[in-house]
Amino acid sequence: MRILREILSYLAELPKLALFAVGVFIFLGALGPWIAPYDPNIQDLLSANQGPSGVHWFGTDHLGRDSLSRLIVSARTSVVGMVLVLFIALSVGVTIGTIAGYKRGWVEEILMRIVDVGLAMPSLIVALAVIGILGTGYWNMILAMALAWWPGSARISRAVAVNVMNRPHMESLRVLGANPFRIYFMHLLPSTLGAVLVYATADAGAVALSIATLSFLGLGIQPPTPEWGQMLVDALPLLEWSPRQVILPGLALTGAVVGFNLLGEAIALKRVPTLLSSSVLKQRRATALLWKRS
Amino acid sequence: MNSMTAIPLLQVKDLTIDLFTEHAAVRPVDGVSYDVSQGETLAIVGESGSGKTVLNFAPLGLMPTGVSVQTGGQIIFDGQDITKLSERQLRSIRGKSIGFIFQDPMSALNPARRIGRQIAETVELHLGLSATQAESRTLELLKLVGMSDPESRLQQYPHELSGGLRQRVMISIAIAAEPKLLIADEPTTALDVTIQAQILQLLKEIQSRLHMAIVLITHDMGVVAATASKVAVMYAGRIVEQGPVHQVLVRPWHPYTTGLIDAIPRAEDMPGSLFRGLPGAPPILGGPVEACAFNPRCAYAIETCRNRRPPLLATPTPPVIAACPVVLGQWQEGGAP
Amino acid sequence: MLSLIFRRLRNSIVLLVLASLLCFALVVSAPGNVAQLIAELRSPNATMEDVRRIEEELGLNKPIIERYWDWLEGAFTGDFGVSYRTGDDVGASLAKRIGVTGTLIAGGGAVALVLSTLFGFAGAMWPGRWPDHLTRGAALLGASTPSFFVGAMLIYGFAVALGWLPSFGKAGPASWILPCLTISLLPSAVLSRVIRVGLEEAMARPYALTATAKGFGRRAILFRDALPNVIPTYINALGTQVGAMVVGSIVVEPLFAWHGLGHYFLMGVQFRDFTLVQACLLLFIVFFITTNLIVDVGMLFSDPKLRRQKN
Repeated sequence: MRILREILSYLAELPKLALFAVGVFIFLGALGPWIAPYDPNIQDLLSANQGPSGVHWFGTDHLGRDSLSRLIVSARTSVVGMVLVLFIALSVGVTIGTIAGYKRGWVEEILMRIVDVGLAMPSLIVALAVIGILGTGYWNMILAMALAWWPGSARISRAVAVNVMNRPHMESLRVLGANPFRIYFMHLLPSTLGAVLVYATADAGAVALSIATLSFLGLGIQPPTPEWGQMLVDALPLLEWSPRQVILPGLALTGAVVGFNLLGEAIALKRVPTLLSSSVLKQRRATALLWKRS
Repeated sequence: MNSMTAIPLLQVKDLTIDLFTEHAAVRPVDGVSYDVSQGETLAIVGESGSGKTVLNFAPLGLMPTGVSVQTGGQIIFDGQDITKLSERQLRSIRGKSIGFIFQDPMSALNPARRIGRQIAETVELHLGLSATQAESRTLELLKLVGMSDPESRLQQYPHELSGGLRQRVMISIAIAAEPKLLIADEPTTALDVTIQAQILQLLKEIQSRLHMAIVLITHDMGVVAATASKVAVMYAGRIVEQGPVHQVLVRPWHPYTTGLIDAIPRAEDMPGSLFRGLPGAPPILGGPVEACAFNPRCAYAIETCRNRRPPLLATPTPPVIAACPVVLGQWQEGGAP
Repeated sequence: MLSLIFRRLRNSIVLLVLASLLCFALVVSAPGNVAQLIAELRSPNATMEDVRRIEEELGLNKPIIERYWDWLEGAFTGDFGVSYRTGDDVGASLAKRIGVTGTLIAGGGAVALVLSTLFGFAGAMWPGRWPDHLTRGAALLGASTPSFFVGAMLIYGFAVALGWLPSFGKAGPASWILPCLTISLLPSAVLSRVIRVGLEEAMARPYALTATAKGFGRRAILFRDALPNVIPTYINALGTQVGAMVVGSIVVEPLFAWHGLGHYFLMGVQFRDFTLVQACLLLFIVFFITTNLIVDVGMLFSDPKLRRQKN
């Protein structure tokens, strides 16, 4: 219960808009297929490219598929992909990072050099290069993105691990001859995981955006699986006649990414003194009015 | 000039300052009055958090971002009430008629700009000089504050100077436009002991040359004795004792002043002897209190001190005034006030 | 100072060697027989004889170290081999396309420089007021909106609906506007945040209070005192954003049918043309590492503490 209350009070400090956007995204990701009014892949060429109506609230695409249903189910594609990528990337990153932070010396030197190389390359280019070698396909995309994303979490977990290992009680544990495995699994790993998960939240938006970008380029999610980036590229030839089909997936994607970016910013933001809002100022003046001038 | 004996340069009358931040409203200055004449040095003494810095900086618009200021009372400087001025009018006073020196010369100087520019821009702004004129004036100023090799100093950055030299640079910025009043906030606190005396001596010399008034904010009674002619002791936003330095230091009336003076280490102290500090800690700022704020730490405190605000009273050594009716025999234990 | 630059240079070279090795290893580790893949690409009914001939032709039968060395040696002289698919000389294609991407990034960078400075300063000049909220919101949107979506919307607005600008192709300055705007979106957003936050932090420092005490107004303090302290951070962020624009070119170039490096790299990935992917990757790596080096040196020069360090 205490943990739940802590989580809730932590969430209360985050921007409402961000929580709302991310909440909707994850909710649709979890329950999308049951919420969508139609099967997103049922074609009906007779009612292709229709505008919004009572039957199809957001209209239909060039194959007559229901746009709203495709938008909703896309969230699922995106969430699942994002979770898979982050899970693999974090597992690899945390393992490498904590080993480097625990062993130090030449092990750390070699591992961190490799991480440096990974960090010197933008994630999307690494992902594209890997797809170029392995070929397109769902799991190739997930693997390629995980390969592109692990160095960031490796660097962070190494920093945290070094920090944890330098704490006085870790030193005494080591001197007292505690089992290295115990130190690693009971002390080092839990502290590192916490910090890296926060980092992952801030990065989730970038992962979602990259999945969409890869799909837009035809190298990620393959048709007919609905995905925002791929919906957008499908509709691009129709831009002139039916911009709606480009705008809708674009807005959905932007909304989700805005949510994650706001969240990440709120988490990472160093507190800099900000100006008083006029309402707070009024409140303070009222307090001062109650003080008698003596 | 001959008005200096008639009207003081700076008159603060019943000044109250409220600060509003995102988290709280506080009154760090509560009903403070004092005055300073040309050529005179007033020391304002108090522990950190006593309101002595806010008192001098807030009315002039020198507050960090996120703090809103509301003042009551008057500050008559050179014939006009500063509390009534707009930000634009204040800007033409700051740096021109009133110069400022801050506590930590490292952070107060801009690390990314050359010393020469940081001084010269003030000269350009207030004296309307051209760049070349400003540079020769800057050289003069650096010589005035006793910097060796001023030409090469112009090209240096703050991190290349020692703490004492940086404070000399700050002083040259403060006096660049020959202000009538210099407000120095703990000018020697961040410096080595040997440098402290040099800087205080320099301030004195400059004062007599420019005939400035100085308000010196400090927590160090030693500094007060060495530089000031008048002293005002502040505690929790109020002045508790005020008067000429030679009288207050010799015969303090308020228990707080006595404590401050006793806390100065003396030559006759045996090495290793007990440090005589004040017991307890100053109160945390909040709203005004209807009591003597010092009563929890005071050996003389009686019941009345806890529910009445002590007024500033005349003492047997005029013109010294002190806010301790107990010591001055006005309030008695058990008796009606 | 010199020793610092030297150290950075040495790190860059180590990084470059490692990266080129990785880049080479990536292609070598490709699943399946590359020679067979090529043979099938050239003619559907290729024999084992054909495969062996291709192996010979590309030096695929040599030891790995020797192949790496050959590749690196070739890359130094601009010889990146031939495309598996089209048989074109990759080096020549790269040379032809580098200018296109250069135009895109230079144009986008210029837009980002101007926009971010304007937005960042507007926000810092009137903190908490509408220009601040507006620029902050714009920066958040700019950093979150996918460039292909923005590009599509710009095409719809300025080319389809208004008909003012060409929707694709690269013919004269008018056709540069939309691609450069599209690619500048992310860097503009990120850099304006960098300026805004940097200025805000600088204005909270004691030296800003000193400047106020000197009698300067907010605008003068922003320019004279805050800006010089933001520049090192800005240069650093600018370097990262130039890198981000290279990534952006992979999306923006195909969208506007520009035949630059991003487009070329994408083609390589789509058709699994390994020589092409490898060559582009190496070029990108060299570019990123060089930018990093320039940024590091730039930061050294813009920080007086580091610039004037003795030894």
